[in-house]
Amino acid sequence: MDKTSPALVKFEGVTKKFGNVTALEKNSFEVAKGEFVFITGPSGSGKTTILKLILGEIIPSAGVIHVDGVNVGLLKPNDLPLFRQKIGTVFQDFKILNERTVRENVEVALAVIGLPTDSWEDRVKNVLKLVGLTGQIDLFPSQLSGGELQRVSLARALVVNPKILLADEPTGNLDWDTSDEIMGLFEKINKEGKTIIMATHNKEIVKKLKKRIIHIENGKIE
Amino acid sequence: MSNIHFKTATDYIRRAPFQALSAVFILSLTFFVATLVSILVYSSSKVISYFETRPQVIAFLKSDAKEEEVATLQHKFSQDIRIKDVKYVSREEALSIYKKATSDNPLLGELVSPSSFPASLEFSASDLSFAQEIIDEVKKEEIVDSVGFTAAIGGESSLKDVVGRLRTITSYVRIGGGVFTGILALTSFFVLLITISMRIATRREEVEILNLIGATKKFIRSPIILEALIYSVVGVILGWSLAFIGILYSAPGVVSYFGDIPVLPKDSLTLLTLFGIILVSELLLGVVLSLSGTFLAISRVKKMR
Repeated sequence: MDKTSPALVKFEGVTKKFGNVTALEKNSFEVAKGEFVFITGPSGSGKTTILKLILGEIIPSAGVIHVDGVNVGLLKPNDLPLFRQKIGTVFQDFKILNERTVRENVEVALAVIGLPTDSWEDRVKNVLKLVGLTGQIDLFPSQLSGGELQRVSLARALVVNPKILLADEPTGNLDWDTSDEIMGLFEKINKEGKTIIMATHNKEIVKKLKKRIIHIENGKIE
Repeated sequence: MSNIHFKTATDYIRRAPFQALSAVFILSLTFFVATLVSILVYSSSKVISYFETRPQVIAFLKSDAKEEEVATLQHKFSQDIRIKDVKYVSREEALSIYKKATSDNPLLGELVSPSSFPASLEFSASDLSFAQEIIDEVKKEEIVDSVGFTAAIGGESSLKDVVGRLRTITSYVRIGGGVFTGILALTSFFVLLITISMRIATRREEVEILNLIGATKKFIRSPIILEALIYSVVGVILGWSLAFIGILYSAPGVVSYFGDIPVLPKDSLTLLTLFGIILVSELLLGVVLSLSGTFLAISRVKKMR
């Protein structure tokens, strides 16, 4: 693994093409450790593509991406799982395991990183307390509201203590009050030192939190 | 860690009980038949061994044969590698055998004396196919009056026919049983393949989530492999147990029907050892079936993507 970048996330002239369609074109930016950055722009501008590139779901057509000193484009398929374990992800559609309880949804992340089971209980309880889901620990997703589902998703992302938290339109399916509560949680987590990169087109939220904005239009950062 | 995989595997089984039942049912049937065929193969080999090792050739000696001549002849044939054993039966012993055989009618025994029976040499061949050659050679000996053989089933006129019939029966049991078990094993393999392929298809969203949170291939595949192993182990234990109970239940009747022929082990320890060996072999076969079915299903799904 190449450890050359001082920034936690660094894009250098990154281009991503899907066939003849250019989703991103020669974009460069950096995100420092502990920073909270919004990636804004209209639908189809390339916000989600940036998050997928950071996560190693897709590789750049040109340019270099460093995440925590690792050149993501050079990662071998067998190294990807370990790399992704350092990154927490929260999605608009929650991506919750519907057949699992809240506790089990969080525990699965601990099982994935191979943490011994005797240390799960404290970790799960602490993270569920942080997101305000202590009372719903044994409920199934079908018994939860949209806001609660997003909290489960956030808890699952945070329980492994990731270096970066990626959030793709985390409030896209939520009403304003619930969105506000969720954003309050993100702010609290960031204040504790966690690096957050959030893609959103919700201008109200961006305005309220007053964080650095990377605005993207037609695949180019402005 | 393995608890979470085991729980996931049992959850899959609970969610699709009919798929699980069909897989377990066909595997149980396969291993039930496999256990019966194994016992049949064991029994048929024991029957052959019984006929091969019992005295097949009896050389009746002339009444004027001297003890030294008999001893020389016995020694000569005991050195022959085709002959497993040569036993001398005196006139007195022959009378005793006759009396024992006619014990249900003592009058028959009283009418005879040792002089009524000739002394004889009984030969056991190391392989039944040598018996005819032995008969031909023994006949040439001067002190031998006549030669007969004891192994005969179904009214065969020559020892060659006896050997031929036994070998044919055993071949039918082995080939027929093997082919039938093979067909069932292949059916089980395809049922497992379909069940696991369906499971992978229904887990697609879950696999996507697990990939995103950094799960390794091993982590994702473990519950699927465990599920197939559960089907196999349950199938083996059910099929084997049913066959074991059936054979134990019918053993007394079978053993008494065949009399001296040891179609089944007569002591419990040997019987349990035999069934233990079959169980271990079937468990290994079950593991091979489930693992090959699972990996083929996984590779097929990967190709489809």
